[in-house]
Amino acid sequence: MNYWPVKALLCALLTLPAMAWAEVCAEDRRGVQVCLPEPAKRIATLSPGATELMFAAGAGEKVVAVVNHSDYPPAAQKIPLVGNHTRIDLEALLALEPDLVITWVTGNPPAQMEMLQELGLTTFAIEPRTFEQVSGVIERLSVLAGTEKEGYAEAQRFRAGIAAIAEKYRNVEPIPVFYQVWETPLMTISDDHLIGKVLQLCGGLNVFGDMPRLVPRISAEVVLAADPHVILTGSVEGTSDDELDHWKSYSGMTAVARGNLFFIPASPISRPTPRLLEASEAVCQKLDIAREN
Amino acid sequence: MSTLRTRGLVINVPGRPDGYALDMDIESGQTWGVLGPNGAGKTTLLHTLAGLLPARSGQVLLNESPLADLKRREIARHIGLVFQERQDSFPATVMETALIGRHPWLSPWESEQGDDQARAQQALTSLDVDHLSDRLLNTLSGGERQRVAIATLMTQNPNVWLLDEPTNHLDLHHQVKVIHLLRDQARVGKTIFMCLHDLNLAARWCSHVLLLYTNGDACWGPADAMLESSALEKLYNQKLITVEADGAPVFVPVSA
Amino acid sequence: MIRSLSVLCVVALLAVLLALALGSVTVSPIDLIAVIQGEGNALHRTLLWELRLPRTLAAFATGGLLAVAGALMQVLLRNPLADPYVLGLSGGAAVGALLAMLTGMGTLLISGSAFAGAMLATVLVFGLAHGTGSWTPSRLLLTGVVVAAGWGAVITLMLAITPSYKLPGMLYWLMGDVSYARTPWPPLIVLALSIVLVLPLARNLNVLARGPMQAAALGVSVRPLEWTIYILASLLTATAVTTAGSIGFVGLIVPHMLRLVLGNDQRIILPACALAGGTLLVLADTLARTVIAPEQLPVGVITALLGVPTFLYLLHRSR
Repeated sequence: MNYWPVKALLCALLTLPAMAWAEVCAEDRRGVQVCLPEPAKRIATLSPGATELMFAAGAGEKVVAVVNHSDYPPAAQKIPLVGNHTRIDLEALLALEPDLVITWVTGNPPAQMEMLQELGLTTFAIEPRTFEQVSGVIERLSVLAGTEKEGYAEAQRFRAGIAAIAEKYRNVEPIPVFYQVWETPLMTISDDHLIGKVLQLCGGLNVFGDMPRLVPRISAEVVLAADPHVILTGSVEGTSDDELDHWKSYSGMTAVARGNLFFIPASPISRPTPRLLEASEAVCQKLDIAREN
Repeated sequence: MSTLRTRGLVINVPGRPDGYALDMDIESGQTWGVLGPNGAGKTTLLHTLAGLLPARSGQVLLNESPLADLKRREIARHIGLVFQERQDSFPATVMETALIGRHPWLSPWESEQGDDQARAQQALTSLDVDHLSDRLLNTLSGGERQRVAIATLMTQNPNVWLLDEPTNHLDLHHQVKVIHLLRDQARVGKTIFMCLHDLNLAARWCSHVLLLYTNGDACWGPADAMLESSALEKLYNQKLITVEADGAPVFVPVSA
Repeated sequence: MIRSLSVLCVVALLAVLLALALGSVTVSPIDLIAVIQGEGNALHRTLLWELRLPRTLAAFATGGLLAVAGALMQVLLRNPLADPYVLGLSGGAAVGALLAMLTGMGTLLISGSAFAGAMLATVLVFGLAHGTGSWTPSRLLLTGVVVAAGWGAVITLMLAITPSYKLPGMLYWLMGDVSYARTPWPPLIVLALSIVLVLPLARNLNVLARGPMQAAALGVSVRPLEWTIYILASLLTATAVTTAGSIGFVGLIVPHMLRLVLGNDQRIILPACALAGGTLLVLADTLARTVIAPEQLPVGVITALLGVPTFLYLLHRSR
């Protein structure tokens, strides 16, 4: 007996609910439940980190608007710009008709974010501060974009990678480290910052880890007093790596005496994206060298 | 016709003890000259009579009403003042400057009418500055500016004219012209009261004279009674010889 | 007089229309008319009614407020170098706004804080200058300049201690930014009311410009007039700064430019300042948001770049 009409009918009936409930929802950083009637087709990302995360979630092709410095992955460089993350060109953004806008809580100007909401745009705010929040954000972005398969896979890859590094460096000897974010003014990060978490992952002991501010501005004196064994900073492509030269005159510093002044690529470690894995590997490698010296 | 009276008026010269109390009756048709050396308080007196400075004691009465009881605008309709020194941060044209004289007569929402323009034009003509009416004030010479100031007073047309050294900066021809103009105004009933540094102008043209001494002493009265050489020598601390010319005394300073 | 004001009106209207038409997205005149008539596509409607019109009207109002306040300050202090900020008003507003940003308040509270700071600065300078009872323009100016420097020091301190991520927002506020003005009605109403209030006083101001003694001799009540002008100028400036941060240059240059062309009669200068100041800021803001779009420049940079050559040209021509 040929049951194919019945099978076809059953298939159709089973897919009906899926189509009717195509609405996608996810909770953002503000605790707001953001819902779309169907997965987003035109996404605007208002920070370079959000752009990367959206590509990581598998929805790179759906991004129609980015801001300055959205340079990774290379495909993102071809997407139309709508200003800077500190100052958005609202007209250009509106003209691109996004159905989902990914905003950055501390990076985008609050007044413009209010305006976006008043203009009726759907905004999703992100601010990942831990590795788990990074993978969580990738997953939630993929839900909103309808690319769960790729997104969840990437999030899992990231989690596994971090766990592997954590395992590898679980019992290593901690080494006091100073991470220089900027030369003048002299800035560093605390343990609450993702960079601080990378340092911890590799068994580094951030000498300014328990400072109350996320990005404290400090003086050379306190760095000398803390006497780290290794000094790290980010190297920006295309610029000469001289930001650590000013430490060389302090020959009494342990880090200087042992030659432990190292550069790691700045971009991967400065953004809350899966590239933190590469960044962690780079940092761990340098700390290993430092332990040998 | 207006009368300015002072009753027990002691002007306030900072740092100087009370001077002689002034009890003058400045009537219409009179031309008063105020004489005295620098620092005697001539400008202070003028400003006090206009109600711009408070007196130390006594009062000034305008037509029997104390000045202190009158509003500024009311006073400005009766008393006009030509200052010795003027400020020019935002220069206006000559015509605009003259027209400002109509200010006490216009309400806030009114602007100058043709009648006002005509008065200003006539005043500028009388002072020989009508050919300059579109020029900016700060491009004129000292003498021209002085004449514009007097034209402004004329446009204001109060009954009492107070003038602080009106012949300053003026060449001889215009000095005479201005004095004649003032005398003519007095003839039609205006009250003229001016500070003069030139003793001889007072001698020739004033009906009444007030002598103000540096220590605060004062005496006043009809010109011929006041212009007595020993009093004048004491006033100016300068020896004088008197000659006569054109029916009036002329005082010439000589070295002792 | 009527002729010059009519010309300024027409120019102002053209500037506003230009501002509505230009932007990151060009709206052609046909589309513009369609939107005004109630049709036109959704994007153009949003752009015009919700983005460009409030912003342009706010820019016009702010420019007008600053120019009129500048003219009033120059008459009050009898000093052509005076501008609306010379007495430290914008410094007080800035401290108020930055404090609100530092403590994480919303945009409405930031505006309120800025206004409060401005009024506090006004009262402070007035009270200090009053001192022993004699209140002269030079004393007021000196007090104001010193207090302004004081506010500057406080602002620098706040910038130094703020967390890095709050800095861009603070800097944009300090540079002046019309884009955050959500509703143009408060500054527009204040501007209109102030012109109505000040016009009957305008001839008094002409007389006051001759000097306080001269003015008194011509029937002007000098002290009450000076107080009124001071309060009015402060209110105008506070409104402007609350709407769009401290936009420089407009308040100093526009009155001067108009004086070079129109003379010194405040009855013409004050309404002309409202129109010309508004026009200048509308043009500057249009440039600021389009010249390197999608990058957005602060409008204060453009007002200076536009104003300086224009002023120099007029000065040269007036010789």
